[in-house]
Amino acid sequence: MTVRQTSSQQRRHADLQREPIDPQVVVASLKRGEDGAVVVFEGIVRHQTRGRKTLYLDYEAYEKMALQQLEALAAQALQQFKVRDVAVVHRLGRLEIGETSVLIVVVSAHRGAAFEACRWLIDTLKRTVPIWKKEYFEDGAVWADGEPFPDEIPRANPAAQGSHS
Amino acid sequence: MRVRVLLFGVLKDLAGKADDSVDLPEGASVADLIARYGSQIPRLKESLPALAVAVNQQYASPQTRLKSGDEVALLPPVSGGCGLGHSERSEESVHSAGGGNA
Repeated sequence: MTVRQTSSQQRRHADLQREPIDPQVVVASLKRGEDGAVVVFEGIVRHQTRGRKTLYLDYEAYEKMALQQLEALAAQALQQFKVRDVAVVHRLGRLEIGETSVLIVVVSAHRGAAFEACRWLIDTLKRTVPIWKKEYFEDGAVWADGEPFPDEIPRANPAAQGSHS
Repeated sequence: MRVRVLLFGVLKDLAGKADDSVDLPEGASVADLIARYGSQIPRLKESLPALAVAVNQQYASPQTRLKSGDEVALLPPVSGGCGLGHSERSEESVHSAGGGNA
């Protein structure tokens, strides 16, 4: 992902792509002279799940919403943590063992905030962004168990006694 | 009024389609729409406490009133990112039946 300017001159911080993710390209596009720290997180495809050997994964998304959610997460991270910039890239489609499914890059003057922001971004992404992965094994395929939605997100059950409207 | 319905993940497999449109009475809510799908999607009712809904790409509650042309998405618990996290620790999953290959 290279940094793109939209017509409103607002930088995009998030991207979905089917091509392999190149972390170095993203890092290079983000770094500036005032940064003292770059934190890079890569989520990579594991070779097995609960003892079953994984052949490959396939990621799908509600793309329009996922992109909006990722941008919103990036904006929230910039507000909440003392970091200068962030980039979040998620891959879609078929991924082989060892490939990168998600990349998060955070740059800041100091490392503490960068680590915190990065951690928060991946933890929150995994619970809220509409992306799903299907795992293909030798003897079949199954949609991965998802993370429970956080309390703030209402559930589809009309009788649910949520504390949030 | 006509609304568009998108189904993702295991719901898509269970319903046999990813994209649908449904005619609802004016003033119908998300809950009304979900009730319609109860017969089309096996085990939908039991999985509702785990599911989320989006209307026009925003998370919405079942009470949300719909209007003509809205896009409603039924969303199973998400599994973006990497690794196993919750699934490694969970003892049972609402969605483990997937395509019958647990």
